[in-house]
Amino acid sequence: MRYFIWGLFWIGVYLGLALFPCLILLYGTMPGGYGFWWDFSMALGFAAASMMALMFFLTARFKRAALPFGVDIIYYFHKHISLLFFLFAAAHAVILLSTEPVVWEMLRPSQINRYMAAGIVSFVLLGLIVFSSLWRKQLQIHYDNWRLIHAFLAVAAFILALVHIEGVGYYIATPAKRIVWGTIMGCWLLLLLYVRIIKPVALLSRPYKVRKIIPEKGNAYTLVIVPEQHQGIDFLPGQFVWLSMYHSPLSMKEHPFSISSAPEQKGELHFTIKELGDFTRRIKDTPKGQPVYIDGPYGVFTIDRHSSEHGYVFIAGGIGIAPIRSMLCSLAAREDGRPHILFFAGSTLEKLTFYEELNALKERLDLKTVYLLEHPPWDWQGESGFLDTGILKRHLPSHLQELKYFICGPVPMVQLAEKELHKIGVPLHHLHSELFDFV
Amino acid sequence: MRLLLAKILAVLTGVMIIALAVIFAMAQNS
Repeated sequence: MRYFIWGLFWIGVYLGLALFPCLILLYGTMPGGYGFWWDFSMALGFAAASMMALMFFLTARFKRAALPFGVDIIYYFHKHISLLFFLFAAAHAVILLSTEPVVWEMLRPSQINRYMAAGIVSFVLLGLIVFSSLWRKQLQIHYDNWRLIHAFLAVAAFILALVHIEGVGYYIATPAKRIVWGTIMGCWLLLLLYVRIIKPVALLSRPYKVRKIIPEKGNAYTLVIVPEQHQGIDFLPGQFVWLSMYHSPLSMKEHPFSISSAPEQKGELHFTIKELGDFTRRIKDTPKGQPVYIDGPYGVFTIDRHSSEHGYVFIAGGIGIAPIRSMLCSLAAREDGRPHILFFAGSTLEKLTFYEELNALKERLDLKTVYLLEHPPWDWQGESGFLDTGILKRHLPSHLQELKYFICGPVPMVQLAEKELHKIGVPLHHLHSELFDFV
Repeated sequence: MRLLLAKILAVLTGVMIIALAVIFAMAQNS
């Protein structure tokens, strides 16, 4: 309930900030109206500008604001709201062009001035941002390059939008409104400075270094890091961080990874990473002592936020076992006596990361393991194929509606597991997952 | 389910903003 109220509070803050410039325009002396569509278009333009500024707020990873939702949902919200604000910016232009012939005159190459040009370029850059984000994989843009392009285009588009608004100046002509508008713009620019400069520089003062790399089953490696001359971070089992290695945090070349060790294991952090791309393929060759910077912890995918008298059910697919291993190790360290169930899906038994360790954990925990193999050996006695209601019903207790479920893996697997669990009567608010496939 | 939450929040925000833009335009021209 506490998180629900905080969630409503932060939604209110977001709406307040997004709508504030429009409210300022409504206050005090207003210039005469040019007709409904003209003013409606201008209001959409101002709303689009403040939503653009708030994009930096959404991706600044303010822990308090992310706490009620989970930072993954904030990123997905950022993705959806970006499309909406691009539509608002487009509507601002289309309405003006279709209702005011004078705007066509202003856009003639011989007539165009710097602030109209700034508005047009800002809109084109926004289009490029949306296009490159929605189709990054199809365009085969490397994630690191995409992030740099995204950040550069976003800053440029935002500054050009401010030049456009300032240049037009129609609604902010009175001295009081100019002061308020100037303050709003100043706050937005400070936010930008914090996100791109102040926060990364702060991370530089809290470095970690690589202690060792442990090869694991399933093409995965566990990266073990230790804090250098500081206490490290306090985290909850199942949480994740953004990790920068081989580059400074200022370079924005960072990747989200779940912590695979338990918080009770003081002094070091483990990240179990599967070889999937350019960055992850370099993990195994990382030398001892390599500096690492981490931003976190983040995430709400943790047993510590969802108490359960009857124990937990964990559902992992592939390397999705990493945060679940953190939670299981934490439960073992706390000598938890409740019954827990783990469903773990993988292609073969040989590729199930932590297979032996999970079996060993059964001696310290009341843990039932159910392995699902995509390609089982001929003499396999266990489950195979995809998770379905039949498998779930065979292994879950009769009071399955009262249990809490933690699901981590590829997005299609998470969605399938949620659907199947809901089919057998598990309430939606008992299902917990973390989503990493942002772009 | 969590993806749906992000979509719902985005749609609600959009609706609120359009409503305020309409109020603004109507106030300017009343």
